[in-house]
Amino acid sequence: MITRFLTNVNLRFNPFSPRSKSARLFLSLIPPGARANGLLIQSKMLPRASKEPATLEIKFKDGKQMHLDLDKMRITEVTEELDRHSRTLARKEELTGN
Amino acid sequence: MPPRLRLRPRALLIQRSPSQHSLRHGYASLATATTPAPPIEQTIKSVPPVLRYPPTQPPSHKPPEVRKSQLHRQYQSVLKASPLILIFQHNNIKAVEWMGIRRELTAALEKVDAEREKLGQELFADGIKLQVIQTGIFASALRVVEFFKPGESALDHAQYPTDPTTPTSAKVPNAQNTPDDETFAHGLSRKAHEAASNKKLKLELEPLLSGPLAIVAFPSVSPQHLKTVLSMLSPSPDFPAPRRKVNPGYHEPEIQAGLQKLMLLGARVEGKVFDQEGTRWVGGIEGGIDGLRAQLVHALQSVGGSLANALEGASKSLYFTVEGRRMDMEEKEKGDMKEE
Repeated sequence: MITRFLTNVNLRFNPFSPRSKSARLFLSLIPPGARANGLLIQSKMLPRASKEPATLEIKFKDGKQMHLDLDKMRITEVTEELDRHSRTLARKEELTGN
Repeated sequence: MPPRLRLRPRALLIQRSPSQHSLRHGYASLATATTPAPPIEQTIKSVPPVLRYPPTQPPSHKPPEVRKSQLHRQYQSVLKASPLILIFQHNNIKAVEWMGIRRELTAALEKVDAEREKLGQELFADGIKLQVIQTGIFASALRVVEFFKPGESALDHAQYPTDPTTPTSAKVPNAQNTPDDETFAHGLSRKAHEAASNKKLKLELEPLLSGPLAIVAFPSVSPQHLKTVLSMLSPSPDFPAPRRKVNPGYHEPEIQAGLQKLMLLGARVEGKVFDQEGTRWVGGIEGGIDGLRAQLVHALQSVGGSLANALEGASKSLYFTVEGRRMDMEEKEKGDMKEE
């Protein structure tokens, strides 16, 4: 997963729901130094009884926001979705010669 | 010319002798072989039973020498021995950060123990460790602990010495050295494996057991220690982190960076599963088990008082009724006397 272009990650999930697995795996995919490099991560854990779906809100460096419903997605689908935008950003960065 | 066949007088002798023998005794079956009688010791005493495997290593279903079997055994013992287990998820914590977190945690727990030592209470700091676990093996060990209830141990099938003169009185299980034997009922036995691999049984903790996990196991439910661990590892308004002035080591950037990546998922308290709030509630019990006992005694005392009042009330009212009746009758008698 390309995390270079993320600035904000906002997660809400209920750890006791089997559908929130991809939310937890997403957290484990963030590299160890990401927080030190300016990525803001907020994870809110819901109580056990709540039926709220797991959601992910993401902001990219170019200001694009994404809302993903993690309940119905596998972790590979989540990374695909994010990487699609990250790759365009990476290409732009390459072309401007930074 | 000498003859080609040499005469071997000795060979002839041997060849001839059995034929002579058979001629002498008619049947071989009737021949009496003289075997020496067993020594008198053997006929009086029975043979001692033999244990066919090392007593600490009964044969296991999976090969016992591999790492995962040993981890399985270790996790089972952790699960059986600790009534309170906190479950954390760790997201790419570096080794340096782990080191710092563990150091601060042990320092804080030792402080708690020093306080408890003054009061003469039990000490648990040595038994409380932050441990990264292999999730799949831990889940399997939990299934064995929850679903496998061995009714009898291998020793129930032990050979008892039938004669008091047998050389040993030790109970030795009468089991073979293969995992196929039905009598084995330890955690790694085939029976345990079969009980745990029943797909119909579901663990309450199952959704939590995925991804990278770490546990803190407590040897006893001690809210005081739990409070310390919660305030160190997942601070909240109820359990505030130690202040910078009190504990400057805790606020080092390395440790703080590590703690950001550590999330409390839930807890297993005496077989029951609690979420974050439930865990905090357990940590918030004042005075631990002694405090709860005091509350119970207080409640029972107040109930007893009211019960005594109620019972007393009935007898009092009865007394008043009877007394009233007596007075009444006395007055009547007096009235009768006057009339006479």
